[in-house]
Amino acid sequence: MGSLFRSEEVALCQLFLQSESAYTCVSELGELGLVQFRDLNPDVNAFQRKFVNEVRRCDEMERKLRYLEREIRRDAIPMQDTGDNPEAPMPREMIDLEANFEKLENELKEVNSNAEALKRNYLELTELRHILKKTQVFFDERDGCAGNLDGGSVSLTQNLLPDEAKGPIQLGFVAGVILRERVASFERMLWRACRGNVFLRQAQIEEPLEDPATGEQVYKSVFIIFFQGEQLKLRVKKICEGFRATMYPCPEAPADRREMAMGVKTRLDDLNTVLSQTQDHRHRVLVSAARNLRSWMLKVWKIKAIYHSLNMFNIDTIQNGLIAECWIPVPDLETVQLALRRGTEKSGSLPAILNRLSCVESPPTFHRTNKFTRAFQGLIDSYGVASYREMNPAVYTIITFPFLFAIMFGDLGHGIIMTLFGAWMVWKEKPLSVKKVDSEIWNIFFGGRYIILLMGTFSMYTGIIYNDVFSKSLNLFGSSWHVPFNESTIRDNREIMLDPKQPDQYEGTPYPIGLDPLWQLAANKINFLNSYKMKISIIFGIVHMMFGIILSLWNHRFFNRRLNVLCEFIPQVLFMSCLFVYLTLLVFIKWVNYGAGEDVPLVLTPGCAPSILITFINMVLMKGYEEAKGPNSCSAYMYDGQFYLQRMMVVVAVICVPWMLVAKPYFLYRASKQRAMLGTGGVEGAMEETPSTMPVQPAEDHDMSEILIHQGIHTIEFVLGSVSHTASYLRLWALSLAHAQLSEVLWGMVLRIGLSTAGTTGGFAMYFIFAAWATLTVVILVLMEGLSAFLHTLRLHWVEFQSKFYEGQGYAFVPFSFDSILEANESTVTEAK
Amino acid sequence: MFIFQNIIIMLDSAFNIDCGYLEGLVRGFRNGILRQHDYLNLVQCESLDDLKLHLQSTDYGSFLANEASPLQVSVIDDKLREKLVIEFQHMRNHAVEPLATFMDYITYGYMIDNIVLLITGALHQRPISELMPKCHPLGTFDQIEAINVANTSVELYNAVLVDTPLAEFFGECVSEQDLDELNIEIIRNTLYKAYLESFYNYCKNLGGPTAEVMCPILAFEADRRAFIITVNSFGTELTKEDRAKLYPTCGRLYPDGLAALARADDPENVKQVAEFYAEYRALFEGAGNNPGEKTLEDKFFEYEVKLNVNAFMHQFHCGVFYSYLRLKEQECRNIVWISECIAQKHRAKIDNYIPIL
Repeated sequence: MGSLFRSEEVALCQLFLQSESAYTCVSELGELGLVQFRDLNPDVNAFQRKFVNEVRRCDEMERKLRYLEREIRRDAIPMQDTGDNPEAPMPREMIDLEANFEKLENELKEVNSNAEALKRNYLELTELRHILKKTQVFFDERDGCAGNLDGGSVSLTQNLLPDEAKGPIQLGFVAGVILRERVASFERMLWRACRGNVFLRQAQIEEPLEDPATGEQVYKSVFIIFFQGEQLKLRVKKICEGFRATMYPCPEAPADRREMAMGVKTRLDDLNTVLSQTQDHRHRVLVSAARNLRSWMLKVWKIKAIYHSLNMFNIDTIQNGLIAECWIPVPDLETVQLALRRGTEKSGSLPAILNRLSCVESPPTFHRTNKFTRAFQGLIDSYGVASYREMNPAVYTIITFPFLFAIMFGDLGHGIIMTLFGAWMVWKEKPLSVKKVDSEIWNIFFGGRYIILLMGTFSMYTGIIYNDVFSKSLNLFGSSWHVPFNESTIRDNREIMLDPKQPDQYEGTPYPIGLDPLWQLAANKINFLNSYKMKISIIFGIVHMMFGIILSLWNHRFFNRRLNVLCEFIPQVLFMSCLFVYLTLLVFIKWVNYGAGEDVPLVLTPGCAPSILITFINMVLMKGYEEAKGPNSCSAYMYDGQFYLQRMMVVVAVICVPWMLVAKPYFLYRASKQRAMLGTGGVEGAMEETPSTMPVQPAEDHDMSEILIHQGIHTIEFVLGSVSHTASYLRLWALSLAHAQLSEVLWGMVLRIGLSTAGTTGGFAMYFIFAAWATLTVVILVLMEGLSAFLHTLRLHWVEFQSKFYEGQGYAFVPFSFDSILEANESTVTEAK
Repeated sequence: MFIFQNIIIMLDSAFNIDCGYLEGLVRGFRNGILRQHDYLNLVQCESLDDLKLHLQSTDYGSFLANEASPLQVSVIDDKLREKLVIEFQHMRNHAVEPLATFMDYITYGYMIDNIVLLITGALHQRPISELMPKCHPLGTFDQIEAINVANTSVELYNAVLVDTPLAEFFGECVSEQDLDELNIEIIRNTLYKAYLESFYNYCKNLGGPTAEVMCPILAFEADRRAFIITVNSFGTELTKEDRAKLYPTCGRLYPDGLAALARADDPENVKQVAEFYAEYRALFEGAGNNPGEKTLEDKFFEYEVKLNVNAFMHQFHCGVFYSYLRLKEQECRNIVWISECIAQKHRAKIDNYIPIL
């Protein structure tokens, strides 16, 4: 079976399919999801391909289904998602499906148009009812007004009228309903167009009415316009039309109005029953459709996917068949054969033939992942998909990633929070993954649940090592240090030093695991921690990088690149060991050799320990020190012969640089010259003999200058990189320091206020302060700091680690799989909502 | 504070504070404009369904997916326009000054066209409800449907247009005459002239790259109108004096060319005027109505496309929004042209579209 260390072997295969069985075979392969088809007609337009009509029919069916779905959604009918996965139907069933959808669509359309007509009718009647109700007031006012006029108080308009028109003025009127938001401009328009000679009254209809065309709820107003004369009437009507106001006849006499209102009411009641019946019918149709909608949709998608694949095939006119080319992972060849046999049996035609081809181009990269490794593989792939069959860093990332993260995020408390979150997601994996959430952030978290879980547990471990729980220390085993001084000494002295030599102050054995909790109180805690964490970062960084270089050896050996081993791997290892591995050795020597104790000679006391940084700088500058003057004075050297050894190592490292730079181009040059002397024939014969598992590289024209430049860049990148990358690992220390400091600040500035307030008030205050502290802890320290540590870890892997061996020039294996196609379709559908 | 603001305005890069997002958006949209190879594929289509299938693989995506299968050209046209309008309105809704006014200015042109369309329709006794779908959605306003209230241009102004942004352009064409065909044409051109000049001045006052880009485009637009008015006026009742009043004065023809145009009597005279202007001479020289030759109109379109494509070479200016709309409209015209040719099985002229990129 395929391993995670390398991508799987993928073979290019040719597939002869009989035209009768092609559909069923491809359907079987789609269910299997292990075959990637190559497009054999890349120059042919989408609409000129063979099965374009079938694709179009599928589009049409999809459209009908979408229409159904929209209607179902509008009525808020739950759609059943049984989760079953129907097989792709046979092509002949397609006609049945089409007929079925056609019937449903037509039925629904008819019902809808009926319903719309009814609703329009209903709307008109309701509006009329409102008009009759509201205008009552206006008419009353007008009549009252007219009465007043008769009574003698003469208005301005009255004066302008000719004398014959005495008595109640015959005003015409138009009543109607208009959208509420248009009332203002309507009124202004009326005023302008009729020069103020009309009188508009309006009242709002409180409840919203349903617009039959869109089904939306709209607010409307009743208006009534009084005017005089035919001219104005025409004009007013035009404006009403222009503003899409609906006008209704409204009798003038109160008795007529009352009668009309009664009529409207009975008609409304009738309409209501008809409407509810139509709705019921519609509901029944939709409910029955909703039951099958999903499986229909899946079927149509599958058919469409199959025809899309068939469109990529070549047509074999002689044997009346189809020829496909596809990538298949070698271990799965048997399974694919079986699937093909099933497919041909279904259609009962001649068997399909599968041929392995040799190919020039490099096959796609296929990593078989499971739910645990998928996220890690994703981290690697987002940098660049591995070249075919090169070492896959994802395996190592599974451990190194959370570990480097934890070095930066070391805090037991925060680690526990993260672990719990990750563990919860892993625990509830099934229910959570079934539930489709649109939130992108959540999907990212959920996709990386195993990473989060591991990051959390590793952080707990480093938290224990740093002895940090929300910036406080745990004193589980009892500190190895004791403070023998009495209270007055402590009060009087600003600084008291504990001496590890004194048995009453230091027990002689260190704290069993992690940092001694006493450091929490020490004034030089930061100094101590910085020195410790910096060294740790450099050590892990160099180990990490060396590991990367060693992985490149596996790559070279696998691809038979002996020249690369000799001219790249060996000088690289030498260069790194002579400078940086030696640096870590110095660290260890300093840790082991120097120390406090009764029997430690003066040369090895802490005061005499040389600075590693200075030592290293001087080593590179090839600067020596004066020898120690006597046995009791400090020496700048850690061991005998250090100076000469160092000098030798620097020389070796310097020699490595031209070695890396020149050797490979030189050997290539010589080889090409030899080849030219032998003639090309022999070389090509040799090429053909290379094993078929390896992609045959097309014979490159070795352009010397290009090779030189490439090698130059490579060398400079490595040499400069080894310095800058080593320094880059110091981010482990920097972020860890920042994290610890930030959580300390949060404790000191927030929670301590609550803890130091006395009495009952303190209790109450604590309630709120704790809430603030907890929120800030989660949001800033766990979420934000976690994110930043995550990104830094990602960078350390992508740049510092992978640059040592990873090419990432491949392309991913994308098999033709119904599962992924359906998933993609479903996500676009949910997006469209 | 004032000086400080001025400094900020002078910095081109400050443009991004307000309009950076939208400019990014419009440039993204512009990358979706069909290219030459898309057109080559489109003209090969056998039916409108093929066309739909091919458009699916472009930036248009599934914009026709919900249409029932025997496609109509009008449906394609509507959907193309709808997509463009949605894009434009999305950008307009996010725009702040001065881009907001700039984009409003763009819509005024459509308003003028809509008004003229409705009045002409009303003159021929067509109901407004039938005309409304033909109006461009970018040029609608609240009162537009009540436009047939007006019988004279005074009424048109007083009742309908006074509240719209077009009111300021209307000043010159208020008259008590009844609206008739010629009148309407004059109103349209007077409005357009005022609109173009106002837009031109607005862009000029904005200064910076916006003026640099927009002024040549609008100047060309003005000159094109002047040419077209002149050519179309031959053989109509329009007097030379009236005609001269319709020429927009913000183009490169102003003032000498316009004066010469005002005196022109036949298309040959127009061509002579164009002789004096290098870029217009080229347009007139290649134009003709014979088969195999491009019409003057197409030549103008081609030149306009060129100007608009060049607008995208500058950064930090509002002109890209105008140019994008224009290019996209040209693309819609192209697609509709190709669809018509396919639908009517009249393939001889299918290549007469105007490629953009």
